[in-house]
Amino acid sequence: MRPRIPGWLGAALTCATGVLLAVATAASVSRATASYETPAVMLVRADGKSVSLPQELDDGRPVLLNFIFTTCSSICPLTSRTLEEFQHKLGPEAARIHLMSISIDPEQDTPARLSEYARKFHAGPEWQYYTGTLAASLAAQRAFDVYRGEKMSHTPVTLLRSTPGKPWLRIEGFVTPDELVDDYQKLLASP
Amino acid sequence: MTRPGGRATPTSGPAVARAAVIALSGLLGAGALAAPPPQPLVGETLYRRGLLPSAEPVQATREAGATLKGADAACVNCHRRSGLGSSEGRITIPPIAGPYLFIARGKSLEQQGVPFVDTERVNHEAYTDESLARAIREGIGANGKTLNYLMPRYQMDDATMAELIGYLKGIKVSPSPGVSTSVLHFATIITPDADPVKRRGMLDVMNQYFVDKNNAAARTKAPTLYSSHTMMFRVERRWQLHVWELSGEPATWEAQLRKYLASQPVFAVISGLGGSNWEPVYRFCEAQALPCLFPNVEAPVGHDSDFYSVYFSRGVLLEAQLLARELAQAREPIRRVVQVFRAGDVGEQAARTLQAARTDAGQQVVNRVLKAHAASKDLHAALREVGPTDALVLWLRPQDLKALATVPVTTSRVWMSGEMGGLEQAPLPAGWREVTRMAYPVDLPGRRVVRVDYALSWFRIRKIPLVAQQVQADTYLACGLVSETLNHIVDAFVRDYLIERVEMALDHRVLTGYYPRLTLAPGQRFASKGGYIVRFSDPQGTKVAPLGDWITP
Repeated sequence: MRPRIPGWLGAALTCATGVLLAVATAASVSRATASYETPAVMLVRADGKSVSLPQELDDGRPVLLNFIFTTCSSICPLTSRTLEEFQHKLGPEAARIHLMSISIDPEQDTPARLSEYARKFHAGPEWQYYTGTLAASLAAQRAFDVYRGEKMSHTPVTLLRSTPGKPWLRIEGFVTPDELVDDYQKLLASP
Repeated sequence: MTRPGGRATPTSGPAVARAAVIALSGLLGAGALAAPPPQPLVGETLYRRGLLPSAEPVQATREAGATLKGADAACVNCHRRSGLGSSEGRITIPPIAGPYLFIARGKSLEQQGVPFVDTERVNHEAYTDESLARAIREGIGANGKTLNYLMPRYQMDDATMAELIGYLKGIKVSPSPGVSTSVLHFATIITPDADPVKRRGMLDVMNQYFVDKNNAAARTKAPTLYSSHTMMFRVERRWQLHVWELSGEPATWEAQLRKYLASQPVFAVISGLGGSNWEPVYRFCEAQALPCLFPNVEAPVGHDSDFYSVYFSRGVLLEAQLLARELAQAREPIRRVVQVFRAGDVGEQAARTLQAARTDAGQQVVNRVLKAHAASKDLHAALREVGPTDALVLWLRPQDLKALATVPVTTSRVWMSGEMGGLEQAPLPAGWREVTRMAYPVDLPGRRVVRVDYALSWFRIRKIPLVAQQVQADTYLACGLVSETLNHIVDAFVRDYLIERVEMALDHRVLTGYYPRLTLAPGQRFASKGGYIVRFSDPQGTKVAPLGDWITP
């Protein structure tokens, strides 16, 4: 069993709307269980279609959610490469899980730029990118407790959920593709 | 920048080829017309583009086995062009410019004559060539600890490694030209086709800003701190402005600018004023590796992939994108788009942008060009045969807009450039106001009032005549941004670093003048990305109402 982390760190990781149990497996990666209230905002998918965030999240599939911006040159290429490897390692199973990457720089990240970014990371059809108004992106960032004031302050956070209504696994730090596959499989196996 | 047939070393290679590479890479920041310093080309190409001497992409892996290569693995992504590092979230990416790597533990930066940067970690042993190669290949730091997960482990042979280390050692962190121990030299550039009224307005603001800046520094002047024999820490330097007025044909402007720079090197160019052609200035800034920050240019030149030219907005080119989107989404069918502009004015460039976008979409676009100095009454002829199913786009200045008073309105689908027409001050005749929608690439008057009022009050107190409000407010904003950024860079007066810190400072900026938000990043060179489509609310006056949300085309 994973050890509980000290209370102060748990408090630091606690989101506004959720109750969580934070655990750490390595110095740089921490995991927590959390619940979030999805804001009813509309986003624009990289294919140009206007979509509802709750509907995209709650389409019945397991979902992995993260936040990126396409001109981010250090953290995001690494986290995106991790998702690319994650899809690859899952093999046929990759078709079951919906990957969602929401831009935290939506004015710059037009659907065309997001599509180009998706191609760069060989995003399969289940991995979709989202932009929209700044207000919508901010609402999503705040709801999932990833808003850090401005884009250059963002931190690597990966969120995983097995089915709608279940709590989220919140992974902070640079999780590796293998660890992510492991997290995903454990999450599906958990009751 | 790797040339076929082998590698160039710092001291080898034909001078011509070397000069060409320098021009391309934009490394020639120093000395302007002085002889270019030797360039470690292999190391630079690897650092900036992730390419090996063979032109193959460099291969790298991360701790967990993920691979990356080429541009994705280039050092510049994290350590930045300056080599002075960066920070993202809680992650600090340290400087890798040589002086920071080879500094001995226990010695302060200033003892070594190395400027303070907030990304520096002084708690490591001094690297040697061997330990640095191990860090690059195996991710083991000088103190034997594993480096951050972000740091890839690179594969390269010994000769390439030596080139890379040579490049790192050669990254200059000493003050750029234009920075002395007592003065920071800045320039502003004015082209001969710039509007003389705006020119006066801009210079009034800049001159006063520099006076204020120097007065404030004099008032709060603390004793100069000499913390070592080699370096002064946080010295208050006087700001000095050099106005580079261009004359004659655009083909001669670059040479004029090079001459100005040679006679008085400057740390950066702040603001500036252009007419319809900014291309030579843009080329100069990129070629000389000289930051050109936020000029007042209605049709800016450059790309997001550039480094040294930074603008508040794409200006009329952004308007063209906004209008292309409008036309694409028009509810009523549009037979054709008729654009009117004056030859040689920026409207011509905007019209070309719009035409390209709509022609690609299969729409017929007709351009009616007014001669540069023809009388406004020629508008009659230009607008002849515009029918009710045509969309009319006006890329016109106030005096042409006034002249529309005698031209009958023949279509209800009219759009105009706010930037060229004067935004809500545009003297559009009453009949035209009812049918015309305006591209409005700034925040709405009611929403920007607080942010702009700060500048306006500053002008008022200092008795600066308000003659071109947006140009003056943008100029004031540009000066303020540079001043704020200089606080962050402390003593690291490196031109590349100035640009990188402007990128970072902008996201924090609260007072953004005419613009609702300003953001930059590597690969972003236009800070405000969108605009509104508005319409006049009344037959007279300056009240405008948006026809939707802020749009980022």
